Amino acid sequence: MRVFVDSDVVVSSLISSTGAANFLINHIEIEPVISIHSITELQIVVQRIHVETGKIKLLIKNRFEVIEITKDVKVLKQSYEKFVTDKNDALIVTGAHSANVSYLISYNLKHFKIEAIKNKLDILVLTPALFLQFLRSQQ
Amino acid sequence: MLNTIDTTKAYTPEQVAQMLQLSKNTVYELIGRGEIVAKKIGKLYRIPAPSISFFFTGLDYDLYVSDQEDRKQLSSIENEIAAVRTDL
Repeated sequence: MRVFVDSDVVVSSLISSTGAANFLINHIEIEPVISIHSITELQIVVQRIHVETGKIKLLIKNRFEVIEITKDVKVLKQSYEKFVTDKNDALIVTGAHSANVSYLISYNLKHFKIEAIKNKLDILVLTPALFLQFLRSQQ
Repeated sequence: MLNTIDTTKAYTPEQVAQMLQLSKNTVYELIGRGEIVAKKIGKLYRIPAPSISFFFTGLDYDLYVSDQEDRKQLSSIENEIAAVRTDL
């Protein structure tokens, strides 16, 4: 199942091997997706928290589908800002919508207008653990 | 949702029935089917809090623990991401 993954989940998966983010990223039934916009921010963030940048490059290469988004960032932020409380998070919703997924996985639920995203874009926003719980309920 | 589960606590089937608004017989049936994991001590059952974690947190106990594990570092990660997103 393809799911779009916010950067907080990707970074968390690198920091703790026993956290829900790591379980999600390495789950056999899950195909994690990020956008090209996430890559730059991921590389800067891991440097700032003193994680080897090689680890994030390897993780992305081995596990992630990276989708290209060619439209202008400013235009995208304006188009999707109605779905977030902070305009700077709009590119995550853009990525999930462009990837045509049904699930956006993030720890930062309070920054997303979850009802609007569900009703207008047909995307559910869930934490890693809640999504894993959902997968169990489907078995 | 509770922030923590007291893993040292155990409940009687009657207490769990009351908490979950189920009949006592249903709780015994759930124990019999393994849906609620209980320990039989003599003729009595005791149900450890993690066995009914889902009803408190919406998560099975192992997922609850893994969720909490990530949250230990989350605020510093969120702060860095917010700073980077502002700059980009």
